[in-house]
Amino acid sequence: MSTTSSLKKTDKSTTNNALYSNQRVTDDDIFRNSSQFSKWSFTKQQLKDIRQNLADETLLRFQEKLKSYLAEHESDNFLTDEEKEAISSEFELGISSEEQLQIVSLYAQKVQIFCTKLKLPSEVIATSIIFFKKFYITNSVINLHPKNLIFTCIFLACKSENHFISAETFASKVKQDKQSILENEFKLLESLKFSLMNHHLFKPLHGFYLDIQSVLYGKVDKNYLGTVYEKSKKMLLNSYLTDVFYHYSPPHITLTALILEDEQLILKYLELKFLGFDPLTPEEKLNESQLISKKMYDTLMKTIENCKQDLKTSLLPDRETAWKIDARIHYFLDPMSFIKRFRAQKESNSNSNDASDEPDKKKQKIE
Amino acid sequence: MSSKDNFMPGDRQGGSTINNTPQQPRNASISSSSSSSNNTASVGNSNTNGIELDGKYKQLEKLGKGTYATVYTGINKKTGQLVALKEIKLDPEEGTPSTAIREISLMKELKHENIVRLYDVIHTEEKLTLVFEKMDNDLRKYMDLVYKERCKLQQQSPSSLDASLVKFFAFQLLNGTNYCHENKILHRDLKPQNLLINKNLQLKIGDFGLARAFGLPVSSFSSDVVTLWYRSIDVLLGSKSYFTSIDTWSIGCIIAEMISGVPLFKGANEDDQILKIFQVIGYPRERDLLNSGWYVNLPKYDAKSWDFVKSGLDTIHSLANILKLNLETHYLTLDLLVKLLQLDPMKRLSTLEALEHPYFNDLRRSQV
Repeated sequence: MSTTSSLKKTDKSTTNNALYSNQRVTDDDIFRNSSQFSKWSFTKQQLKDIRQNLADETLLRFQEKLKSYLAEHESDNFLTDEEKEAISSEFELGISSEEQLQIVSLYAQKVQIFCTKLKLPSEVIATSIIFFKKFYITNSVINLHPKNLIFTCIFLACKSENHFISAETFASKVKQDKQSILENEFKLLESLKFSLMNHHLFKPLHGFYLDIQSVLYGKVDKNYLGTVYEKSKKMLLNSYLTDVFYHYSPPHITLTALILEDEQLILKYLELKFLGFDPLTPEEKLNESQLISKKMYDTLMKTIENCKQDLKTSLLPDRETAWKIDARIHYFLDPMSFIKRFRAQKESNSNSNDASDEPDKKKQKIE
Repeated sequence: MSSKDNFMPGDRQGGSTINNTPQQPRNASISSSSSSSNNTASVGNSNTNGIELDGKYKQLEKLGKGTYATVYTGINKKTGQLVALKEIKLDPEEGTPSTAIREISLMKELKHENIVRLYDVIHTEEKLTLVFEKMDNDLRKYMDLVYKERCKLQQQSPSSLDASLVKFFAFQLLNGTNYCHENKILHRDLKPQNLLINKNLQLKIGDFGLARAFGLPVSSFSSDVVTLWYRSIDVLLGSKSYFTSIDTWSIGCIIAEMISGVPLFKGANEDDQILKIFQVIGYPRERDLLNSGWYVNLPKYDAKSWDFVKSGLDTIHSLANILKLNLETHYLTLDLLVKLLQLDPMKRLSTLEALEHPYFNDLRRSQV
């Protein structure tokens, strides 16, 4: 079955030469030649570096902003030394790469929620989230606040996934100004490097669903497999909020979700599919072709094990952290708001000692 | 962008004197709004001969206006390579048109010698430009040129192509379409105007504005796609669940057109189109030898007027007649066409099967 064939290849060397007319092209060949693979797949280190670079740039901009803000008020004695110190230490934080990832993940979840409310097909939901997350790989949240990109992503995803809806209807459904939705479409397209096609997880899921039935014919209850399918689909929809999309091929991610749903069943399936013998058989008892199968099987298991960890790692921030990051984005855009808050806090601290750290007004905004 | 244009003194003059006419009101209005502070130089911008894109390409003459885009010749300033610039105007109501989004999305994935390459996407404030590989002609124009050449030589023949060229083009067309289908993409609008030819007689499929990705489960599409003459019979009859077979039908029509020089089924409207197809291929019932009845549930199925027709047609003979081909000497050509132009979409050859048809034996041998 072609959906599983990607498991056999790990190198990037598949070339267009393989695509001659009399050779069958596998789904894996298509994936390895896709822009998703060539432009949007990273090793963990690569992704870390890209994000760190962005965080470094962001910090520089915070520092510049701070400098010019302090210079502005150098002679007017508007700021006390204490205030200067406070704003400096706040701005020195910048937005770290972890923070950017956290706040983007939080808003990506909002993208998902809105899509679900709009009853959009899974592919559109997934594409919306991917667009959103990819944008913030190269753009800092201080350039464009994530809340202002949510609907642009959903609308563009509708267009690119062929789910037709006019801008007018869309805008009225989500109760947004049409212009604000269209405004950033170009910037988004550009940040996506105009590669809009995504290889989603739902097709491999369906493929495995069918293949498991044929490989485990008579050994698995169809209704039960149906529930595994549905639960895995939910997990896969949530997987778009993690980083797995950048690191693993769609069938890998799909298999991992299936394994997390019912490890015993899926391991049985993979054993029969790839080995046909007990995986615990000692190596010296295997013949040459069995050894090759075993090697492939082990590689697959290793990949799944890694993917499992990533799939389980939530990137979402807790509420307090989210609030802090969101506030800092706000301070960057308007340093004065930091000073105002600092002063208000100081005042309320002197009035009553048990005052909360977080003004309620702000807290509501992010919820 | 406009500031860059002003660094081109030659064009500034040319623009203000020659092209300062309402010839291209759209461009003129764009440049006047974007550089209203300039004087005569801004008028120069309305001359398409000066426009630069991203500092990388220079826009040259206008080639034509399509449904949602205007196409220009352009030149890559660094390499001197000619390109085709497809300029898409943004709709203030909808943003980037979804046809453009679709075309970009697909073309970014398709890299094949028989598919026009998308090199670059460039955007400025008010428009999006797709930079494509430059081709010299489309197949229809190429055939017209052949016709003109023949007229000069006083040969009274239509715009048909030589048998070997038909085969060469057909092979490339099938090869490119096969690649699309392998990538799970239907073109949906294959017609001679969308097939581009260059000086080396390479054929490349272009215009993916209507194309779309397909997958499981098969979705339904509107039946307005594929220009009438190349629209497959099942779609004409109202089928909503079509597949790669709609493209192979179009290919059959195009190959026949290359042979005879004229469109194979030149219907005036949908019903006429259906009738014209039946007159050549036969009626569904008489062609349905296995009695699958694939057509009986389609909206346009008309039992009364179809089922009693006995045309006594033999498709291969009627195709031989209409294409003026000798059945003996062109048997393989006709056999391929019969198999591509099966009424029943399930029986139509796939692109891969067609490429393996004996008609192409000599080409395949030379390729290996």
